[in-house]
Amino acid sequence: MNANADPLAVGGGAPPKRARRRSPDRAFRYYMIAPAVFVILLIGLFPVIYTALKSVQNVNMFDMDTSYQGFIHYKALMSDTRFWLALAHTLIFVVVALPAELALGLAMAYLFVDRMPGRPVFVTLLVLPVLVSPIVAGATWRLMLDNRYGPINQILGWIAGEEVTLLWLVDPNLVYPAIIIAEIWQWTPFMFLLLWAALSNVDQSQVEAAELDGASWWRTFRLVVLPAIWPVVAIAVLIRALDLFRLFDVIWALTKGGPGTMTETISIYAYVLGFQQFETSYTAAMAFVIIVLLAVTVTIVLRRIEIDR
Amino acid sequence: MSQLEITGLRKHYGSFEALKGIDLSVPEGEFCVFVGPSGCGKSTLLRTIAGLEESSHGTIAIDGEVVNDLRPRDRNIAMVFQNYALYPYLSVFENIAFGLRARRVADAEVNRRVGEAAEMLGITPLLDRQPRQLSGGQRQRVAIGRAVVRDARLFLFDEPLSNLDAQLRDGMRAEIKRLHGEIGKTTIYVTHDQIEAMTLADRIVLLREGRIEQEGAPLDMFERPRTRFVAGFLGSPQMNFLPVEAGADGLVLADGQRLPRPLNASGATGSLVLGVRPEHFSRAGEPVAGEGRLDILVDLVQPTGTRTYAQFRVGAQEVTAELPAHSVEAPGARLALAVDMARVSLFDADGIALR
Repeated sequence: MNANADPLAVGGGAPPKRARRRSPDRAFRYYMIAPAVFVILLIGLFPVIYTALKSVQNVNMFDMDTSYQGFIHYKALMSDTRFWLALAHTLIFVVVALPAELALGLAMAYLFVDRMPGRPVFVTLLVLPVLVSPIVAGATWRLMLDNRYGPINQILGWIAGEEVTLLWLVDPNLVYPAIIIAEIWQWTPFMFLLLWAALSNVDQSQVEAAELDGASWWRTFRLVVLPAIWPVVAIAVLIRALDLFRLFDVIWALTKGGPGTMTETISIYAYVLGFQQFETSYTAAMAFVIIVLLAVTVTIVLRRIEIDR
Repeated sequence: MSQLEITGLRKHYGSFEALKGIDLSVPEGEFCVFVGPSGCGKSTLLRTIAGLEESSHGTIAIDGEVVNDLRPRDRNIAMVFQNYALYPYLSVFENIAFGLRARRVADAEVNRRVGEAAEMLGITPLLDRQPRQLSGGQRQRVAIGRAVVRDARLFLFDEPLSNLDAQLRDGMRAEIKRLHGEIGKTTIYVTHDQIEAMTLADRIVLLREGRIEQEGAPLDMFERPRTRFVAGFLGSPQMNFLPVEAGADGLVLADGQRLPRPLNASGATGSLVLGVRPEHFSRAGEPVAGEGRLDILVDLVQPTGTRTYAQFRVGAQEVTAELPAHSVEAPGARLALAVDMARVSLFDADGIALR
C-alpha cells in the first residue's frame, strides 16, 4: 500500500505512532471496496485480457487452435483494406455527426435556458428519442425512409410537387446522410440535456456583467459561458465520440453496412467477421487494436480536461 | 440638468406588479441610494435602469436620451453585483480590462487605465491573480475596478457589501464614499441596510411595495419622516411607536401616563401613534412644567459600551431608550425619563405623519 495514495497523508515524515494507529483503518477501507473492485475487474478487465489472449491464437470456424501463433492476425489486419475502410467510415460518422449533435444540442440548450410556458412538456418531447432503443430507432427510420411507403419521400414529394422516389438506403449518395440524420435525431437530445444542465448552472450575473461591460454575444460565450460549461462539453463530446466510434445498431437496421461495404463501420465489420464468419482470433486482434486506440485517446482527453480545470 | 430621469416606470412579472409607477430624477454626480425591505422593488428598479429587466410602462432617460429600447451594453452603464460576478477564468487584470477590450480600446490605453484603476483601489499587486485566489474584500475591489475603469455614464451598485463581514463592510463603505468623491459619477446604490443608506447617500429613495415611499436627504428623512414606515425603517434601534389618545391638553399613553402635545404637531385628536426615537429619551431631572416625562420600570438592559439600551413597557408596547453608559445597571430599576417632545413624531391611524 502506497502512502501517497492516502489523501490525508501530510508530507513524508508523519510520526510512526499516528501511522500505526491509522493503518488498520485504512486496511478496512480497502477491504470494503475490494468486492466492488473485484467485480469491476472481472467484467471490465477480463474480456480485454481474454481478447488479447485469443488474438495471438488461431481460432476460427474450422479450427480450435489455441497454441501461440504470434502476431499473424495483427500483420494481416495491417494489410486488410476492408478494415481500414471500415475505420475510415467510422471516422466519417464521428466527424460529421458529432459536431452536428454538439451544435444542435447547444442551440437547443440555449433555447430552453430561459423559463417559458410549456418548457417541461417540450423538453420531455425532445428527449424521447434517447429513450428509444437504437435498434428500434433504426427500424423506425428504415420505415420512414422507405422509398415507396416512407413518409420522408412523401413529404419531400409534397414540397417538390411531384413524386419523389429517393433510394435513401441504397443510393451511395444518400446512405450517409440517411444514417447521419437518424443518428443525429436520436442523440442530439442527449447533448441537449447535458448542455442544458451546464448552461443552467452558469452564473447569470457573470453573463449580465459581461453584457453591461459591452461584450458581444460571441465574446460573452467564448470568455464567460464556454469556460464554465467546458468540463461538461468535454465529457459529453467524449461520451458521444466513443458511442459513434462503436456505431452499430442504426446502421445494422438501416443498411447492414451496405450497399456493399459502403457504410460498414468497425463494429459492423467486427460483427460480420466474428459472428457470421467466425474468424474469432482475427476479430479478437481487431477488437484489441480498437480498444488500445480508444483507451489511449480517452486517457489523453481526460488528462487534457483535468489540466484545463 | 438631470442625468437620470425616470417617469411612470412600471414593471410586471405576470400578474405581479414589482414597480408601481416610479418617478425619479437624479442629478449629475449625485450619490443616490435605493433602500427598502426585501421585495420592495429596489433591485428590480436598478436592473431595469441597467436594462437587465425590461420595463412594462414608462421611460428611463440618461442624459436626456431615452434608453428603454437600448440593449444593456449600449447604455454605457457600469454595475457592481452583489456576488461580484467576476469572470472566474480570467485574471484580475483581464477582469478589469474586459469592458475596454470589448470596446476595442488599444492595448497601451488598456494598460494605462487598468493600471490607474488598480492604483486607485490598491489592488496593483493582485493583477496577475485569478479571482478564486482573492478574499471577499479583494474581489469587491476588483468588481469596483471593473466598473470605474470604464468611462460609464452611470454607476450602479447592487448591494455590493452584503457578502462581506461586518468589519470589512465598514471599511469598504468608507472607500466607496471616498471613491465617489474622487470620480464624481452619478451613482445609484441599492441596499437594504439603512446605515449604508444614511452614511453614503446624497439622497435616499426609500421604496416600499414597488412605490417610492419618500425621497430626500438622509438627515431630512431621518428627522422628518413622512410616514410611520419611513420613521421605522431609518434609525437603529428602531423608533418606538406608542399608541396614544390625543386630546386638546395632551397625549394619554396606554398605561395612563400623560405627555404634553408635541410642539410641531397639528391639532389632530383621537387615536394616534407617537413615534419616539430611543435617543430622544434621557434621564429626567426635577419635574418641569410642560416637559414630557415617563416613569418606567426597566425590564431589560443592553449595554453596548458607548451607550446603554434600556427596555421597558408602556402598556403592552415594548419600548427602547438609548441612555448614556452606566445610567442604568440592572433590570428592575425604576427611572424617570424625559422625552424630547420637540423631536417626536405623531402619526395618524394610516401611518401618515402629522405636521
